Amino acid sequence: MNDIAAKLGMTGDQLEGLLAILVRNTVILIGVINVAAVMTLVERKVSAWMQYRHGPNRVGPWGLLQPLADGVKFIFKEVVIPYGANKPLYLLAPAMAAVPAMMTIAVIPFANDVVLFGKNWGPLAIADIDVGILYLLAIGSMSVYGVILAGWASNSKYSLLGGLRASAQMISYELSMILAILAVVALAGSINLKEIAALQASTGNPLDWFFFKQPLACFLLLVASFAETNRHPFDFAECEPELVAGFNTEYSAMKWAIFFIGEYSAMAVMSALSVVLFWGGWSVPFMPDAPWYLGFAAFLAKVSVYLFLFVWVRWTLPRFRFDQLMRIGWKVMLPLALLNLLATGAMLALFGPPGAP
Amino acid sequence: MVIVKRKELSLLERLYVPEIARGLSITFRKMFEKKITRQYPEEPLPKTEVTRGQPRLVVKDDGNIACVSCGLCEAACPAYAITIDGGETDRPIEREPKRFDIDMLRCILCGFCEEACPKDAIFMSDELELADYSREMLVYDMEKLKRPAAAMRKRIEYVHKINDRWRSAPRPPMLADQHGAHGHAPSASTAGSHASSPTAAAQKPHAG
Repeated sequence: MNDIAAKLGMTGDQLEGLLAILVRNTVILIGVINVAAVMTLVERKVSAWMQYRHGPNRVGPWGLLQPLADGVKFIFKEVVIPYGANKPLYLLAPAMAAVPAMMTIAVIPFANDVVLFGKNWGPLAIADIDVGILYLLAIGSMSVYGVILAGWASNSKYSLLGGLRASAQMISYELSMILAILAVVALAGSINLKEIAALQASTGNPLDWFFFKQPLACFLLLVASFAETNRHPFDFAECEPELVAGFNTEYSAMKWAIFFIGEYSAMAVMSALSVVLFWGGWSVPFMPDAPWYLGFAAFLAKVSVYLFLFVWVRWTLPRFRFDQLMRIGWKVMLPLALLNLLATGAMLALFGPPGAP
Repeated sequence: MVIVKRKELSLLERLYVPEIARGLSITFRKMFEKKITRQYPEEPLPKTEVTRGQPRLVVKDDGNIACVSCGLCEAACPAYAITIDGGETDRPIEREPKRFDIDMLRCILCGFCEEACPKDAIFMSDELELADYSREMLVYDMEKLKRPAAAMRKRIEYVHKINDRWRSAPRPPMLADQHGAHGHAPSASTAGSHASSPTAAAQKPHAG
């Protein structure tokens, strides 16, 4: 190891650190893309079960290889670019929809400090930055550009309407989402996601999880994340009965699939964010000194519950009307989020930060 | 004009959340209930004598088909799926088809050929699956259409039972009845099981 490092003009520790970063980032990124693949299967299976069906069960045992078959199909299908489409933007849009979701995963802390081969490699996150929430919200909002660009570049009225709706919806719900998150930030006194998670995990008591201090904020963030990821009951960007398929009407083959990878990755990120903010991140109940792999498993389990909730709600609730969506966004969610933040601030001003003597 | 009175929603219902929770609990319970999907190729459809599948030529117990190439089924076929070239034979029926093709891609499984046939030569089988690699392979010739009478017996008996309701004279035996006494005659005992048989029996003298 030291010899190779010397040839590259580095010390052994530097090379080890570089390799660790490479391995960690690759594993996390591939993991997220695989979550998207698995979620397509989960979505189809759960929807089938809820409708007394079996769901895909032909490819591999219990249909487990279905995402692979879907992927092969998408790659070999023809990319049809509609007449009059703005070609560069048309090709850029799917990437714009998927890349922000992959970028935001960078600040999610999946587990506490990883100890492997007798060495502490730091927390299991691509980037442990101090402005984690700020970064996540800023980059996360960019994913709406993909939807708007897709709507604009397709030269189709359905796509354009879908894109417009998506932008209006995102602006409305981003506000209440940020206000809901701010309440937690005020409690934690930090916008570093790792610190917020560590604060909840320190004693191992599940009652320390911020959900029990901010249940309303947790609920608001859940509803807002349905809207942010364009999921039922707020999927107005696609809204089949009115807009055919909305912003992705004119897309085919892998371009279409990338939109879905983006949607499911965004779901994964929103779930992970909710888990970090409200459900203690990697905290294992009653085990404050749990090793990092147990914490990682607990984190994945919590995220899975959230992802299941996304699918569950989609196949239960009918879609809102667009005016209802706007009414709920501005007249219910926003006042509630503001009140919650005010109440949190008042409590903090009166009684001081939690845990303070 | 109809005035629909809408139910006033209570506060709980207007909050959405409890109702949403109720809906979620319903879908969650449904996930574990029995599936109603039929796993088709492994669990085939139930087949009875009423199943009207692809037409087949019945091979009688002496190894021949009863067709005399009269062309009635060809004429009755609404989809022009049947093509018959007739020829002579030394058998007592004197004429037999030299070529009997049914284009299964055109066949609509209506069963008119079965009804039109005066010689009980063509019957609808219970075979419904139709898949092949070329159009030519789906034009069935005489060899592909032949089915032994034993395999079709249930359908033949069913068709005879239906037709015999309007028959005055006993049906001449179509199959060499080696399989036991399958009386196709409209005897009172067999017709008695049918609900409309008393009237059918009463009308017999007038019809005759």
